[in-house]
Amino acid sequence: MADLASRITKPEDAPAVSAPETAPETQIDGGEELGTGLVQSAFDVEIKLSDLQNDTESPLFSVSTFEELGLSKEINDGLLAMNFKKPSKVQERALPLMLSNPPRNMIAQSQSGTGKTGAFVLTVLSRVDLTKPTQPQALLLAPSRELARQIQGVVMNIGQFCKDLIVEAAIPGAIARDGAVKGSVVVGTPGTVIDLIRRKQFDVSQLKVLVIDEADNMLDQQGMGEQCVRVKALIPKSTQILLFSATFPDKVMTFAEKYAPNANQMKLRHTELTVKGISQMYMDCPDEQKKYEVLCKLYGLMTIGSSVIFVRTRQSANEIQRRMEADGHKVSVLHGAYEGGDRDALLDDFRTGRSKVLITTNVLARGIDVSSVSMVINYDIPMKGPPGKEEPDSETYLHRIGRTGRFGRVGVSISFVYDRRSYQALTQIANFYGIDLIQLSPDDWDETEKKVQDVIKSSRAKPDYAPSAVAKV
Amino acid sequence: MTGSSPARPRSLHWASPQRPLHPDIFGEDRNSEARHKFLIESAKREHDRVREDAERVYRDHLQKEEQQRLLQEKRKEEERIRRDEQIAAEVTRVNALKAKQVVIPAPLPDPEPPRPPAVIASAPPAVTSSSAAPPATPAPQPPSQVNVVATQNGVTPKGPSFSPDDSRPLLTTPQQLLKRPEPPLLQSNGTAPAPKAVAPPVAQNPAIPAIDRYTTIHRNLKELRRSMAQQANANRALKSRIGDMRREIRKSVGQLTAGTGANRVQQQKIVALLREALQNQVQSQLIDPSNFVMEPRNPVEGAVHNEPQLPSLFLYLLNIFAKAAIAQFINEAGARPETADPVGICIAATFSEPDFLWHGVSLIDILIAKFRIVCPVLFGYKGSEKTEQGRQRLGWWKDSGSWVTEQQHMDRMTGLGAGFAAVSLRNFGPSKKTNPYPPRHYWTAMAKIVNTPSADISNTQCVVLKSMIQNYEQKFIQFYGTAAIAALRTSLLEFPGRAPQKSAAVNSLGVLAELLKKDSGLVLG
Repeated sequence: MADLASRITKPEDAPAVSAPETAPETQIDGGEELGTGLVQSAFDVEIKLSDLQNDTESPLFSVSTFEELGLSKEINDGLLAMNFKKPSKVQERALPLMLSNPPRNMIAQSQSGTGKTGAFVLTVLSRVDLTKPTQPQALLLAPSRELARQIQGVVMNIGQFCKDLIVEAAIPGAIARDGAVKGSVVVGTPGTVIDLIRRKQFDVSQLKVLVIDEADNMLDQQGMGEQCVRVKALIPKSTQILLFSATFPDKVMTFAEKYAPNANQMKLRHTELTVKGISQMYMDCPDEQKKYEVLCKLYGLMTIGSSVIFVRTRQSANEIQRRMEADGHKVSVLHGAYEGGDRDALLDDFRTGRSKVLITTNVLARGIDVSSVSMVINYDIPMKGPPGKEEPDSETYLHRIGRTGRFGRVGVSISFVYDRRSYQALTQIANFYGIDLIQLSPDDWDETEKKVQDVIKSSRAKPDYAPSAVAKV
Repeated sequence: MTGSSPARPRSLHWASPQRPLHPDIFGEDRNSEARHKFLIESAKREHDRVREDAERVYRDHLQKEEQQRLLQEKRKEEERIRRDEQIAAEVTRVNALKAKQVVIPAPLPDPEPPRPPAVIASAPPAVTSSSAAPPATPAPQPPSQVNVVATQNGVTPKGPSFSPDDSRPLLTTPQQLLKRPEPPLLQSNGTAPAPKAVAPPVAQNPAIPAIDRYTTIHRNLKELRRSMAQQANANRALKSRIGDMRREIRKSVGQLTAGTGANRVQQQKIVALLREALQNQVQSQLIDPSNFVMEPRNPVEGAVHNEPQLPSLFLYLLNIFAKAAIAQFINEAGARPETADPVGICIAATFSEPDFLWHGVSLIDILIAKFRIVCPVLFGYKGSEKTEQGRQRLGWWKDSGSWVTEQQHMDRMTGLGAGFAAVSLRNFGPSKKTNPYPPRHYWTAMAKIVNTPSADISNTQCVVLKSMIQNYEQKFIQFYGTAAIAALRTSLLEFPGRAPQKSAAVNSLGVLAELLKKDSGLVLG
């Protein structure tokens, strides 16, 4: 310490000279003082690379820049305009594979909110030939109209500096019956797409890329899986197929490999699936009726941007809306009773921030990305299976809580339990993913507030989204 | 009778009521000398009387005029004094700020260790006068950097020493800043660009840190929070209320959304809670608010609160309100900057409430002190993102001892930049209330960032600069006219142009310029 010169970083060993936590200012204070009486201060010490980016395994970690990935300037500017400065891991790893020639299929799995959409949109934008702006060249399929519209928005946003980029939505009601699909990029739901191809409104002869988002869901669902197979049969054999999802249950994976043969693959184990940035808690409610009151109290405990509340029935969705509006919240409710345009408008309210609470049944568990969502509430624990034989639905739980903690941000999920059954269901889900759920109680709000603050703080303190760090099973 | 003059008013007879209309005018002696004299006498008296009256009226009139004039003069004087006082206060504040900015670099007497080698090699022993402000360090001096800075900025630093002094010549008035043909018009609202020029060279001795009043306020606020916790333990009434009030405020701030009139309920609730705290029925201790303001204040005539103390609960809740706003900026506006605006409006509306002023001035320093801590680049602080101390100066957060990720840091800065603009670019033109944090602060913050010497430009500054401009360019132009456009050009083109490393953060400033061109037709290049 006495030897100040030794603290100077030599260029060749820069990272090795790491600063102790305490700033050296104090160490030098009074150590060497010049005759001027000026207090002297210390050198600034370089930070170790490992401090700069704590974990190379983080799905958000990457060393390269978008420019290094060889993207065009227009696309790069679009990314910067959207405040994306660096590729995420799935983008960094998958993009070179997807962009290589000759094109090869891809099956990619990555946690929620880690940039999957960005990855395939960048591929699509790089593949289309903008000198043929009305000739469909890329088709992107999503399981719901909301998701399709969202993806359409992302393509247009990232491509905002690309001249002549036309992105069409092939969703119910978007293309006139005698019209034609005239865009280089087409985003849609499978049923509508098939209809359009059959009616010769959609020329697929020059399609280069087919993307299927939420692929496990799409290929697994009865009906939709079939539709995907039919779409594939209708398009050129040479089309590059890209399958994306946060979850790929084993049985779907086998089918996916058939659907996209010889694909490059990026996979995760199921204990690696949850994003560590999301603090997962549960609220012990005295009984089902008390859940309403408890819900309203949650909003004072922490800073919340937007929030999503998942409920099982439309009735409770409506009742929660009533209570929350009385409490000053601006609320959108979205469930199966709403259709088409209404659903779009309700979701747009939420997306643009006119309403900050979204109450929904399962329709929106997947994919919907509103970056400012900082809390997800499982008002009811997700269940699947026929009535009477219901079991906890782990995949849905994961997709639900994935609506928050987008792109490395802090997010909180709170699941409500009020009886033995709901408690057991939640425990089962927690065990499946190997997560420690933190208990909250509605008895002393001062206490609960403190606890929530601590939990948020500690989850932020671990920027390691390291999948391996949670491998427990 | 048309064409005839209007009938004379009858009252004409009585115009001079004393006119001697004696009936004896027709008497015997009407031609006598005595009578004649008497009449002359009467006429003279009458004349004198009228004259006197007239003179008196005239004098009165003159007096009134004089009075009026004096009054006017007095008002003018008062106005002048008030302006002078304001200017004086501003100057003091600017001086304080300058003192701060000038001093900050003191702790880094050395150039960043990693950079020097190459630079030094190219630098002859040009360092003659580090005496001006001897950094007094055995570290290698990068003298050549000074030249780089000087030429790139087109500003001549005072001496070749790479001392903190360097920042002073760069600190500017809009005129200096712009270096453009357009004169910096002071547009509308009387919002003058940051007062400067006036600033005498403060803080000659960079080694003595100016007391950073904001940091002190921030510390005092922490102290206040501790003291409230203690009070609550001893005061049941307070304990039963304080937690609920805090959570209500946090919730209300979180509920704010875009759209005129959308937030009336939330605004009223926040104001009602603060008023409840002012009434202090739970009997929190009274404390001196001067611990939480930048400058000492004296009672002002007509102010609602001229008392030397206010309830601690009130100040605590103002602090909670400010804290909630900052947290909202960080957590919500970081992801979606446009959400900052309604929060900014709520801040301005609440802090300007007449009964929340103390000695006639708002208590917004409480909020600004927080900005100073979480986003120091707004106040002219700078540093390297590659060093521990640099990151500290830039407000890079640490959690449990380790730096938060770059993504999180940049998110925070994005939200805070937008939040600062949302607070400081409010138009109080149509309002009777006084703007608690007028736009000149926005100008000052922007000037401090874009005047950073090229070598010291950081990504953090670029991110903050971008987010304080995006969505606010129109408001900025409304306040400052062509000067704003010139400032935008400096910020979005020249500033990134001279940044040594063209990182994504630097490039995104240019992209914002492109975006402005594309979306609003504003051509800066």
